[in-house]
Amino acid sequence: MKTTKTVNFEKLAAQLDSVKADVKSKLGEQDAKYIRRVIVCQRVFEWSGRILLMLGFIQPVLWLVGVLSLATAKILDNMEIGHNVMHGQYDWMNDKYINSKSYEWDIACDGASWNRVHNYEHHTYTNIIGKDRDFGYGLLRLSSDFRWRVKNLWQFVTYLLLSVLFQWGVSYHEMAAERVFFGKKKDDRDYKVPHSELKKRFFSKGARQLVKDYLLFPLLAGPLFLWVFTGNLAANLLRNLWTSTIIFCGHFTGEVETFNQQGCENESQGQWYYRQALGSSNIKGGNLFHVMTGHLSYQIEHHLFPDLPAKRYREIAPKVQAIFKEHGIHYNTGGFFRQYFSVVKRIVRYSFP
Amino acid sequence: MSALFNSLSKHLLHHQSWAGYWEPVIQCFKPGWREGYFRAQVKHVQVFAEQNVELVLEPEKAWPIHQAGQHIALTIQTDGRLLTRVFTIASEPHMAKQQGQIRLLIRSQEIGAFTSKLTSLKSGQWLNISEPKGQFVMPNTARSLIMLAGGSGITPFIAMLKSIPADSKKTITLLYYAKPNSHWLKDELEQLKQSLSNFDYHLLERSKDGDATTWLTPNAHKHWLVCGPAALYNQAAALAKQLDTPIDSEHFSAVPAVLATSDKHELTLTHQGKTFTIDNQQTLLTHLQANKQPVTVGCGMGICHQCQCVKKQGIVRDIRTGELSDSSEQLIQLCISQPVSDVELSA
Ligand code: FES
Repeated sequence: MKTTKTVNFEKLAAQLDSVKADVKSKLGEQDAKYIRRVIVCQRVFEWSGRILLMLGFIQPVLWLVGVLSLATAKILDNMEIGHNVMHGQYDWMNDKYINSKSYEWDIACDGASWNRVHNYEHHTYTNIIGKDRDFGYGLLRLSSDFRWRVKNLWQFVTYLLLSVLFQWGVSYHEMAAERVFFGKKKDDRDYKVPHSELKKRFFSKGARQLVKDYLLFPLLAGPLFLWVFTGNLAANLLRNLWTSTIIFCGHFTGEVETFNQQGCENESQGQWYYRQALGSSNIKGGNLFHVMTGHLSYQIEHHLFPDLPAKRYREIAPKVQAIFKEHGIHYNTGGFFRQYFSVVKRIVRYSFP
Repeated sequence: MSALFNSLSKHLLHHQSWAGYWEPVIQCFKPGWREGYFRAQVKHVQVFAEQNVELVLEPEKAWPIHQAGQHIALTIQTDGRLLTRVFTIASEPHMAKQQGQIRLLIRSQEIGAFTSKLTSLKSGQWLNISEPKGQFVMPNTARSLIMLAGGSGITPFIAMLKSIPADSKKTITLLYYAKPNSHWLKDELEQLKQSLSNFDYHLLERSKDGDATTWLTPNAHKHWLVCGPAALYNQAAALAKQLDTPIDSEHFSAVPAVLATSDKHELTLTHQGKTFTIDNQQTLLTHLQANKQPVTVGCGMGICHQCQCVKKQGIVRDIRTGELSDSSEQLIQLCISQPVSDVELSA
């Protein structure tokens, strides 16, 4: 570990475990109702959005409302439903459609690929350089753990591009990390999935998304092809920018720490919690804001307890904060603009050697 | 048409089924509606001594009426969780046709929260049932019948007996084993005896009346029907083979669970059709790996859900919390699940 502060890891683990056990014992009707309600909202936003896009010719404002409505649906599907369900947060419901094994989300990234890289690597090895391939996504230099290269000079532009195309970035992530198309293949890596399978999933999921938003629905609109086409483009763009921003604010604010592999070998539960605590940051906001971020505005709680239903993070956050305080661990939270500014600063700071 | 919608839904909405995609929305209007299940409304719940429950349900119109002796899977949502168990229908098809209702008689069990939840069902509530299943029905035979029931295995026989026309000539004898003083439906059996001229029954207790062999052996020329615990069935089946007697059966095994972790017990694990002998000391993941079964593993500590698998049957303990699972089908994480009973995992 980078920081050598003396934390009583056993006590930390016991306290956080008990927070978790407490929530687990309360899970029930309320949580199941909640996720179903969010799904209902998602359906309503999606289809009213799609219909409104076609009504843009009556009154362009309708088109605009349609874009916002569809973007909202896509954000809900991506964040509060997809991300959380695929984390296994609702597996206890035993519902055949609302579980991490069968859920597939409405973005270009194949769910199984995301599960391997994000759910497994990122959440197990959070911010361990060399093991967590989420750190900087191989594109950005975000800490001094990486050597500076010339391309880092314009990495702010790279970052903006990544945000615009975020769903494709997520989708390509596993392949990039496995060096499927470019770069040296390491022979000793133990591949979980053959490259051919990765490629197939990448193209088939991606193609289906493209066909749906840029061909099928526009064609259904007949003469209003372009209205729907641009509407879908705008909705996807809004969703990409939003998710990218929230995720960067949760992972790459100024104070977020990184770890090295040796320091994390054989770590105890307490040390693991500690690493999660220092590797993420929260964003303050209202309830609606939290829903739209999929409660990833509670990134710290999410990293500590990735499979607790996300809406519960709200009620445990004060407890977690109090526990951190007792152990002298920094609880990184702040308003949206403060956190975002801190991210931008970090990206710019590491553009230079 | 529905195939087209399903395939559109699969490719474009990334949802296995079109109806499933709309399920949460439909539920806003039709409570308890679930894709792939029938709805049924609770009409009457009665709790008897020892927490035995009688449940009268009114299935939706589309439900195909059962044959006497068949069972259904009953799914209830309790505390946000869906739980499923199989129960034999203890009423005659006639009742379903006339009154649109079916009756279940359910014995409460300590393990698995299911049956205790049934007692808190309210009439008017909606739950889900499957279509009627199973081959255990009245055989088409000229022989006289012996019905051998053990415990709650009496239910299919009640349904069969009630669907026999009063003028039937077939001789039927029911041998009904149960623990002392816990025979169900004594009144109804008595009534059946009055109305059916060739029907007779014996309420038996093992300690008093000896085991089934004594009662079955003199009846080798008849057709046997057996419903009850696996042990009772095994005994009858062996005897039937020896005596060359035709036998039909339905047997269920209550999952015997090892509750203390301290003692080592041998259990069996079924995975992808193969069966292994395991013990209750290690996680399922360790056992599968030791047996060279293909498994996906990630963190090994219950975080990443890579090792997730569908448990068909059996009880497992969460090694982090000590919590016991339900005994029916559900998703489990292999790396943190320790078997407590025989376990079957789906392929
Ligand atoms: S291997 Fe990660 S949850 Fe089991």
